[in-house]
Amino acid sequence: MRVNPDMSGDVLSAIWQTQSQENTALQQMSTGKRVNVPSDDPLAAAQMVGNQDQSNRTDQYLQNIDTLTSQLQTADGALSSVVQALTQAITLGVQGTTGTLSAGNRQQIVQNLQGIQSQLVQLANTSVGGNFLFGGTANTTPPYKLDATSPSGVTYGGNTGTNTVTVADGLNLQTNLPGSQLFQNSSGDVFGALQQLISSLQSGTATDAGTATNQLRSAFDFVTGQRIFYGNAVNQLNSTQSYLQQEQVTLKSQENTLIGADLTKAATDLTKATTAHDAALAAAAKILPTSLLDYLK
Amino acid sequence: MPGLNTSLSIAVQALQAEQGALSVTTNNISNVNTPGYSRQVAVLNEAPTFNENGTIFGGGVTLEQFQSVRDQLLQLRIYEETQQQSNSQTQLNALNQVEGIFSDPTKGVGGALSAFFNSISQLSTNPTDSNARQAVLTSANNLAGSFHQAVTSLNTIGAGLDQSVPQTVDQINRLTTQIAKLNGQVAQMQGLGQDPGTIQDQRDELIRQLSGMVNVNVTQSEHGLTLTTGNGVPLVVANQSYALQSNANNTVLEHVYSAQGQDITSQITGGQLGGTIQIRDQVLPQLFTQLNDLASQFTASFNTAHQAGFDAAGNAGGNFFTPLASTTDAAANFGVAITDPSLIAASSDGSAGSSGNLTQLLALRDQQLPSGASPLDMYSNLVLQVGNLGANAQSDVTSSNASVQQLTDQRSSVSGVSLDEETTNMIRYQRAYEAGARVVTTVDSMFTTLMNMGVTT
Repeated sequence: MRVNPDMSGDVLSAIWQTQSQENTALQQMSTGKRVNVPSDDPLAAAQMVGNQDQSNRTDQYLQNIDTLTSQLQTADGALSSVVQALTQAITLGVQGTTGTLSAGNRQQIVQNLQGIQSQLVQLANTSVGGNFLFGGTANTTPPYKLDATSPSGVTYGGNTGTNTVTVADGLNLQTNLPGSQLFQNSSGDVFGALQQLISSLQSGTATDAGTATNQLRSAFDFVTGQRIFYGNAVNQLNSTQSYLQQEQVTLKSQENTLIGADLTKAATDLTKATTAHDAALAAAAKILPTSLLDYLK
Repeated sequence: MPGLNTSLSIAVQALQAEQGALSVTTNNISNVNTPGYSRQVAVLNEAPTFNENGTIFGGGVTLEQFQSVRDQLLQLRIYEETQQQSNSQTQLNALNQVEGIFSDPTKGVGGALSAFFNSISQLSTNPTDSNARQAVLTSANNLAGSFHQAVTSLNTIGAGLDQSVPQTVDQINRLTTQIAKLNGQVAQMQGLGQDPGTIQDQRDELIRQLSGMVNVNVTQSEHGLTLTTGNGVPLVVANQSYALQSNANNTVLEHVYSAQGQDITSQITGGQLGGTIQIRDQVLPQLFTQLNDLASQFTASFNTAHQAGFDAAGNAGGNFFTPLASTTDAAANFGVAITDPSLIAASSDGSAGSSGNLTQLLALRDQQLPSGASPLDMYSNLVLQVGNLGANAQSDVTSSNASVQQLTDQRSSVSGVSLDEETTNMIRYQRAYEAGARVVTTVDSMFTTLMNMGVTT
């Protein structure tokens, strides 16, 4: 039987094939990736688009959480100062209700209370990066102004709007409480009660001052209660943060499963390919030069 | 009874025949590395016998002819497989370039889309932050840039393919001219009863090269070979070639026309030209359609959501992206309509500090567009498609390479020159020549003996 006398084509293609296997294994080991172009594994490459987006989202969510946590903590801190100021105001109110006070003493208390009033306005105008935290969504200008003509002693320039921020897929977190809800609620009106205390000490009876002090107490209770909102939000951010950090790890490992090279396998493949390549070369070296001419003298 | 002279002339014939046979061996050895060469064999026959006084004597040997050893059927299969191989290889080369555009998931349209939504997410934590607003515009412009980049890259690939069409057509025409000429010579020699050997080898090799360019159908008729392409468009009939033309009507893309002026672009399915046309006319437009769909649907849905909100000044939101008149060229025309960051409609209630509409815009990230997929899913489908095309072309190339290699091996086992065989033949012819020469010497000495009869020395 006549066989193909020209082995060079087969030999070359065998050498090229083993060489390309070597290259593939080497590329996988050096890049650490099994999928370098979409055709290496079309499905994995397509899924990587989603994986990469998810990983970007997670990074952004974590960044959002950092920003929000500091905003919420500032707001909470401001409310804590409000509560302290209110405690002080209540103490002064209790002093004011004792009927034995001189007019001068009363005047002294009123001045102290007015100081607290402007301190509270300042606290209610707390801002972060130009955003007034208690102005609702109209938060680009200070929401509270002292206003002697107003029954509450202040005017509110903010609105009742709230914002939500997406901090994880499907999780939209409310990030603010408007001042109108916090400080001028029907269940506890900080500014109204304070103003009433001031006016009753200026021109009212001790009973009036007592009523106003009681109102101040319920305002104190209300604001203290509202602080829970901020505490909860921060807690939720904390737990979301650890979930997202876990998610980052999961995504990274998913990425590795999708396009990462199995280095052990790549190393084994490389060894196999090198052995095959050596064998092909050795066979070529043996076959190609032999000819009948070698044996004819 | 034949005389000494007869023996002498038979011996001389033998010397000539062996010498002739040796020249075949020489030619075979010389052409051992010539592509397409088919080995020849010397056809030796017994010379006519002669009858003398009722006894039949052998008349020696004659060298009938040199015969090329070939398998025409195998040759035809090589042509077919070469068309396939060259088609897939051309497609693979082009697709490798296309893949480059879509290979990095952190870059390109997909990465830019993701970054764009991230910038909106960032802005939602502080909607009045002018830096964050500017960042949204910047990433929107990056998104537009990556759409344009993809379009430009695809166009560049398309233009490269398009430019190769007239070049390939030129090569085809040059080959068919040569083939027609050789075809005539083959027919002429066959008419004279000669083996056209070498010329046929040349013609077969040229047809193989032609198969690498375009789909060719080879039919054998009494006038020689007929080569056609597409649905029977003639390229070579007997000794006449028919030149293809490209871009006869100056359309934007190069079309291919038969010698009669018929547009046969869509009939070109094989070879380099077939692969080129396949990518240029089928694959690239398909990818463009997907990019355009994504660009136009995303623009429309984003603008609608954007218009539902209010900008920093409390005015109703306008178009964020430039509205696209049509889906055609949507990716190329994709652009950001606003340059003033305060025009981003972040607010849902008209106050500057509201981020309500940003939440709506962010929701578009996972919302289905009219195509039935989210923007990023549309893009990842595109990546999947590009990957599948590349992987299929790669496996086509691998399998057709193997087929061609196998067929070539098979052809070589029939027609290839074996140096061992030629060496063996050489020894055979040499020995026969030596023996023939010995006969001449012997007859010569017999003549001498005859001449010296009766001469005393």
